[in-house]
Amino acid sequence: MNHNLLEVKNLKTYFFTRNGVVQAVDGVNLALRKGENLCLVGESGCGKTATALSILRLIDSPPGKILGGEILFHDEDLLRCPEERLRQIRGREIAMIFQDPQSSLNPVFTVGDQIAEPLKLHLKLNSKEALERARELMEQVGIPQADERMKDYPHQFSGGMKQRVMIAAALSCDPEILIADEPTTALDTTIKAQILDIFHDLKQARNMSILFITHDMGTVAGIADRIVVMYGGKIAEVGTTFDIFDQPAHPYTQGLLTCLPNISAQQQRLTPIPGTIPSLIDPPSGCIFHPRCPKRMPICDQEDPPEVFISDEHRVVCQLYKQPVTSPGKTGDTHSAQ
Amino acid sequence: MTEKKSGQISDRFGGRRNLVFFSGLLALVAVILLDIYLEAQILEPMGYFYIFFALVATCYALYPLYVNRRLTRYYWERTRRHRLSVLGLAFIIFLIAVALIGPLLTPDPTKVNFDKKNTPPVGFTIQQSVFDTKTDQLVSRETPGTWQHPLGTDEKGRDMLAMLVSGARVSLQVGLLATLMAIFIGALMGVMSAYLGGWWDNALMRFTDVMMTFPFFLLLVFIIFIFGPSLAFIILAIGLTGWTGTARLVRSETLSLRTREFVMASKSLGASGARIIFRHLMPNVISSIIVIATLSIPGIILAEAALSFIGLGDPTVTSWGVVLNAGQRSLDTAWWVAVEPGIMLFLTVLAFNFLGDGIRDAFDPRSQQ
Amino acid sequence: MKKAGLRGYIIKRLIYAAIITWGVVTITFVLLRVGPMSPADKYLSNMSARTQDPAQVVAAIEARYGLDKPIYEQYFDYVVNLARGDWGWSFSNSLPVVTLIRRHWVYSFQLILLSMLFSATLGILIGVFSAVKRYTRTDYLATLFSFIGISIPNFWLGIMLILIFSVQLGWFKSYYDTGLPMFSLANLKALVLPVITLGTGMMAGYTRYARSATLDNLKQDFVRTARAKGLPERVVIGKHVLRNAILPIITIIMFDLSGIVFGGAYLTEIIFGIPGLGRVSFNALFASDYPVVVTITLIGAMVVLLTNLATDIVYTRLDPRIRYD
Repeated sequence: MNHNLLEVKNLKTYFFTRNGVVQAVDGVNLALRKGENLCLVGESGCGKTATALSILRLIDSPPGKILGGEILFHDEDLLRCPEERLRQIRGREIAMIFQDPQSSLNPVFTVGDQIAEPLKLHLKLNSKEALERARELMEQVGIPQADERMKDYPHQFSGGMKQRVMIAAALSCDPEILIADEPTTALDTTIKAQILDIFHDLKQARNMSILFITHDMGTVAGIADRIVVMYGGKIAEVGTTFDIFDQPAHPYTQGLLTCLPNISAQQQRLTPIPGTIPSLIDPPSGCIFHPRCPKRMPICDQEDPPEVFISDEHRVVCQLYKQPVTSPGKTGDTHSAQ
Repeated sequence: MTEKKSGQISDRFGGRRNLVFFSGLLALVAVILLDIYLEAQILEPMGYFYIFFALVATCYALYPLYVNRRLTRYYWERTRRHRLSVLGLAFIIFLIAVALIGPLLTPDPTKVNFDKKNTPPVGFTIQQSVFDTKTDQLVSRETPGTWQHPLGTDEKGRDMLAMLVSGARVSLQVGLLATLMAIFIGALMGVMSAYLGGWWDNALMRFTDVMMTFPFFLLLVFIIFIFGPSLAFIILAIGLTGWTGTARLVRSETLSLRTREFVMASKSLGASGARIIFRHLMPNVISSIIVIATLSIPGIILAEAALSFIGLGDPTVTSWGVVLNAGQRSLDTAWWVAVEPGIMLFLTVLAFNFLGDGIRDAFDPRSQQ
Repeated sequence: MKKAGLRGYIIKRLIYAAIITWGVVTITFVLLRVGPMSPADKYLSNMSARTQDPAQVVAAIEARYGLDKPIYEQYFDYVVNLARGDWGWSFSNSLPVVTLIRRHWVYSFQLILLSMLFSATLGILIGVFSAVKRYTRTDYLATLFSFIGISIPNFWLGIMLILIFSVQLGWFKSYYDTGLPMFSLANLKALVLPVITLGTGMMAGYTRYARSATLDNLKQDFVRTARAKGLPERVVIGKHVLRNAILPIITIIMFDLSGIVFGGAYLTEIIFGIPGLGRVSFNALFASDYPVVVTITLIGAMVVLLTNLATDIVYTRLDPRIRYD
């Protein structure tokens, strides 16, 4: 149909907690194209991780629940396909890496076993073949002495090495899509750079589509093809890396960028975005960003902001751009009022 | 001036309530010595237990709870969320009331009346052979339950209700006193071990390990076998053997607290050892102590009941275990004698378990969701 | 390096076990001597009917058992005799205590083993199931049942089972038949009520521990990783979660030995007339047959010590994170 490998349409994931309903993901639309690195950016608690987990239906339930929307992968709706089919996709066609490699690996199995596990499951390899393949994978992600180390347990590895193990396990079945949920957040800066290199190589060598989730604009700049900025469970702005860094349209995106230290610009100090992320249990009316927005207008707390296309690739959800811009052909993505 | 001086003295003990506690303790020891010396029987042995633990409870449970009313209310609110634990508390309060007031309203539980033997509870009727005085023969006769003995009578015609009320008193006495004692010893051992460290810690903990190696009930049986059964001694024996878990818990909690800043800070300000223990360490482990206390009451009540059940209980008191023992022997003639005390025992233990669970969740910061 | 560490660890644990054993023996000795009645009095209270002059008998017994020696020599003899396997003479049975124990331990052993198998299997299954179905009606029901199981006094449960299944329904005998061959169906049937009596409380405990251990591990990130790999839920739970949850459960089961299991077995044997060590000790109590009571208490402690030792050593194999120092 089109070059979108994975399309998320109007996704809604809510968490039903004792204190109320958290609208963690509220009507998110995004598309991942073949061979691109799409970065999902936002402060912690803005719904990035919930979005990523919803794609493979890994939301813990209870308290979480996916209430609506579609997630199309090869024109198949992952939210409606049977559990059986979903399990064939998980790890085989869409693999995932998590934030904390320390806790994401099972402490009582050797890393070799854990890397080999999807191979045995999906590719029906026998133990020996699977372990041999696991060793190759460990070498590919840069773990030295792989044949020795695959017999070790996770606690015998450093944080960066554990994340390499996680990546190896995710890559084992050569998936089409890799979802990486803040894979570098828990790591030191130097290790972070090494891990990012792996991601860079992955895209180059395997033409893999990557959905990379992070809160760090600095990381994004180095690896992203396109960027999705999320705020308060909704999408604020979508564009190419160039669009977002060079012509950020949404005040929130602009705020995120001014937080970045910039050596070249003559900046005296970093300006943080004032205020904190709003409660998603009882979100502000109208535009969810309005309480913190420096360019707030009277209309902002009255009406939901419209989605405006600035260019083909660049769209923003904000009242500032509400001009009679004729959207170029594409429909269906409009953010309907609720 | 005097105010200041007394303040200094009490400071050496780590606060006024410790001063109160130690003076009370001294007075009590004095009375005991006097008692032994004069052979005067000023108080029954049980009396000393009560006074001692009333002292402990006031100084280290009621007083802090009163001083930190807001915290108390907060924990109460959290405990109250568990409906079952409130139910458990209600039952325990009911039981305490029964134990206190009940004996005044019921007949003597030891009064034997063979004419009224094996009367079933109200609403039941059984067939049993009775010796008919007119014909001098055993005749089979219907025996209906009467309101005179609402829960029936046993094979000797003793009133079941009266025996159960008496049993409630015994169980609560043992449950509360022995637990307080065990917890007191355990907490002291744990804090000392953690605070003194080094050689002392090693010795105390190895001793704890040795005590833990003995199967609790076997050790209890062994001690009672050697020293002979009496209620006061059973309480003492349970208290002296049941402290190990608490000691370990308190030690580990104290160890993790000892390195915290506030203890370091008071040490650097030159606070004495006793002051650090009582003022800073004890209050911080008190929540764990309350939880473990509530949760160990059921086991201790069961231990006493089991001892009485196998015939190692105090022969002078009517406890549920004793009644149950009699009931086992008359299962085919009078089932209620075995059923009723067991139900009471079961409900009591259940109530304490419910309450303990609620309190534990209330004190556990992780349980908030 | 790792192997040497393990060996060192085991040696350390053995030395430690020896120290504990010494402590246990010493405590029983102290208790015996501190007690209001000397061992000779205990003998006497049993034999009084047969004797003329109590003082003479006491003297004779004390000489016979070395009780007239100085206390440190008595202590030395006590320890040495225990170590040599000379555990004294049971006069109520007219047998050496060793023979008595050898004759009866197997009844306790089969009762405890069957009860543990029954309660551990069922308890872990229900607990894990309850955790997987957390906050549903099934879970609440399982939790309620475990509360009831923990709170029900097992000696009362035993009596109730007899009342219902023996007295009323007549399905089982109320008394254990010692004539049955050990490995027979009839023997298994005779043990049904005792095993339920002893096992229910344990099972309820294991259900709770299994539930909470499983819940703890279900929250872990590696569960999500396992799901993200596409593993079916039964593998996620049965392999990834259970393998982690089983460790604390094993500790608890072993720890329970000293608490619930031995006390419970003691009472269960008395109620059902199973001639195990609990019953033997119980009979000895009322015959003032103190060598038997002492020995059985010591055996209980030794079993606890050895199982703890075994658990610690098995643990080093089961949990790769454990370090031996």
